[in-house]
Amino acid sequence: MQQDPIIQMRDVSFTYAGAPAPSLEHVTLGVGAGEFVGVVGPSGAGKSTLAAAMSGAIPHHFSGELYGATLVCGRDTCESSLTDISRVVGSVLQDIDAQMVSSVVEDEMLFGLENFGVPHDEIPGRVEEALSTVGAAALRHREISTLSGGQKQKVAIAAILALRPRALVLDEPTAALDPASSELVFETLRRVREREGIAVVVIEQKVALLAEHCDRVVVMSGGRVELDGAPREVFAHAGELRAMGVDSPRVARVTNSLVEKGLLAPGTPPSLTVDEAHDAVAALLAPKEPGGASAASGLRPAPARSPHAPASRPHAEGAEPVVRLEGVGFSYAGTGDGVSGVDMSVYPGELVGVIGQNGAGKTTLTKLLNGLLRPAAGRVLMAGMDTRTTPISTLAREVSTLFQNPDRQLCKNTVIDEVAFGPELHGVAREEALARAGRVVERFGLPADESPFVLSRGQRQMVALASVVVMDPRVVLLDEPTAGLDYRECMTVMDTVRELAERGCAVVMVCHDMEVVSDFAERVLVMADGRVVGRGPTDEVFAQGDLLARASLRAPEVARLSAALAADVDARLGGRTQVGDLVDAIGEMVRNG
Amino acid sequence: MVRVIDYVEGDTLLHRLNPVAKLALAAGIIVATFLARTWAVLVALLVLTLVLGAYAHVSDRLRSILKVLLPVAAVMLALQCAFVTGGDHVLLWMTTDGLTSGGKACLRLLGVALPLILVLTVTRLNDLANACVEVLHVPYRYAFTFTTALRFVPVFGQEMNAIMEAQTARGVEYDTKNPFRKLRLMLPLCIPLLVSSVGKTDATALAAEQRGFYLRTRESSYRRYPLEAADWACVALACSLVVLGAAL
Repeated sequence: MQQDPIIQMRDVSFTYAGAPAPSLEHVTLGVGAGEFVGVVGPSGAGKSTLAAAMSGAIPHHFSGELYGATLVCGRDTCESSLTDISRVVGSVLQDIDAQMVSSVVEDEMLFGLENFGVPHDEIPGRVEEALSTVGAAALRHREISTLSGGQKQKVAIAAILALRPRALVLDEPTAALDPASSELVFETLRRVREREGIAVVVIEQKVALLAEHCDRVVVMSGGRVELDGAPREVFAHAGELRAMGVDSPRVARVTNSLVEKGLLAPGTPPSLTVDEAHDAVAALLAPKEPGGASAASGLRPAPARSPHAPASRPHAEGAEPVVRLEGVGFSYAGTGDGVSGVDMSVYPGELVGVIGQNGAGKTTLTKLLNGLLRPAAGRVLMAGMDTRTTPISTLAREVSTLFQNPDRQLCKNTVIDEVAFGPELHGVAREEALARAGRVVERFGLPADESPFVLSRGQRQMVALASVVVMDPRVVLLDEPTAGLDYRECMTVMDTVRELAERGCAVVMVCHDMEVVSDFAERVLVMADGRVVGRGPTDEVFAQGDLLARASLRAPEVARLSAALAADVDARLGGRTQVGDLVDAIGEMVRNG
Repeated sequence: MVRVIDYVEGDTLLHRLNPVAKLALAAGIIVATFLARTWAVLVALLVLTLVLGAYAHVSDRLRSILKVLLPVAAVMLALQCAFVTGGDHVLLWMTTDGLTSGGKACLRLLGVALPLILVLTVTRLNDLANACVEVLHVPYRYAFTFTTALRFVPVFGQEMNAIMEAQTARGVEYDTKNPFRKLRLMLPLCIPLLVSSVGKTDATALAAEQRGFYLRTRESSYRRYPLEAADWACVALACSLVVLGAAL
């Protein structure tokens, strides 16, 4: 494969016009036919720049200083036109709405085929084939504005596939998708690769997906390629990855920890899927002699409260709930979507996760909580205020929301003004507001006098979070607080949220990332079709496979591994959601026999 | 409001006509409206548009655009009356001449806007662009710019909504009853909206170029848009409307 790479980058460095530092430094990388390459790295590592260089957008669309050479099918991208490069390398941009050029799926499919002069008698066949490859044949006559995020991704991929490129470059195709749709996109890519032999390069933060589907993972940091190899080789470097701010799949962490503790032989490669990890642990615990397992009777049962799981907070019995929903219903005019019969109480100091598929009613629920929507049935009490009779601006004094896209929240010229804006809106004098903002900005280590719009995505999220913290609210609502953030930023944001909860603030978090939910939420609400279909302590909910399946969700890897081990190795390994817990339990069982 | 120009599914003759013929018909009605001097012709042209709308099952769209236009028309009427003061005195500052010229101005405003909306609701944007390129020899890049701009109207509308919601949740008083205060509060939001729309437009340009935008010629479109008998009849109708408007 390596003899005839489709894309070959040779010592490429690139600095955007006006940028102080290069975004790519001395990158040498080849992508061969039929390879499935995942690119991961912290924000600002140069991943999108890498995609732009591969697809010819650099040097043809973005200007800057470029050194080295990128060859596509042996031709230097500087010497071919962007149009000619796109015949070989198809690319799907990060902003999927901007990628679309038509309002109907079929027209979207036709656009490229028409432009590249595909003979008209070939066109219907190609459209049909590409749509069925991605599993979107039924969408052909739909308006694009009525499609879900996952469906749009499929259409975008199909529109490129129909052009029969030899390589496909995608920039974070699953950033806005729920777990089930993300999985579907990767399965689609895998099918494309297998059926058409197209090379796929995908930038992605969800390491579990990369580990499961890709046959090569490239880790970038600071504009350089730091690691490049099979997932098993790359994720064996868990320590280095963590130092760079890149997560490892949880199952890989389990086997890596077992190696560290000397339970698995040194050099044992990390597991990439739940099944692999299950087999590795099962082999480790296989009874050496019949009846040996009974000697393990000294093992503690699954701890009622794991030392690694989010600790229960002192929300004191008898305390009044600060969020109370009673039989709440709402439906949007025209579509009939919405929520119905929602009951919910959240106490001060609690961190409650809300999970469910896209369209399950999670966002509607947050809008009911911050007053943007008023309930049609039942009532919503926030910090004692009824949202039906209280103006939103009054509610906002006690209830702060962190939205998924920080850019919608930011509107001031400097970070300090932005953070002080909230208190000022609620009548705090400017001097006092600036002083309060100053303290928060300093604690977060943000540049006070910069414009928020020149900061990185992760830093903009931190500015938005600082604007929430400065309000010292009694309730905080988070709508996908970690989407689009890298591992380190995600941890910084969530540690701050945890501190808020520890200081007595009630936190309600809508989140697609089951790992984040299992690490930080102590209670979970499962939603499907506008209703609450399950609720309970996080580890208990994640142990109920059938409930999650009904909501089109999947428990995080560790919970699945724990359940699988409990089912056919030892029941005492069940009910665990944290890597540390499971590893400790396995260790104890090995020691006891 | 932003969705009134969206395509309405249908299979009427008006849906099936060549987009260029529909444009010609709308242009015919509009030119005739400008040329017409009598009440009868102005009203007849307006009724024709409404009847066509009813035939194509898009009356509700025309009604919602009327809701926006009628207040504008009322303001126009009042202003015209203030400037044209000939004839007999009728009511307050209004005179017969003022009412006549104002009333006709209002009818012309509606007579110009409604046919255009009608065409957009019964024609897919892509067909409109492709037919203009094929039949009228409009350069594709202009047609593409026009359709993309129209397509982005609801997208930016949604973005603006989301920004307003985010700001409302922070405590900005968009729920105020005072329209001037609301406007003043909305101005700073132009910054985030501008930032996101510049980014989006740039990305769309890149995505289009990466799918061969610059190779596109008049022959590229897979669908063909020949003018058929019904289309010529429609063009003839448009011409006769113009003649009628000029004569009466």
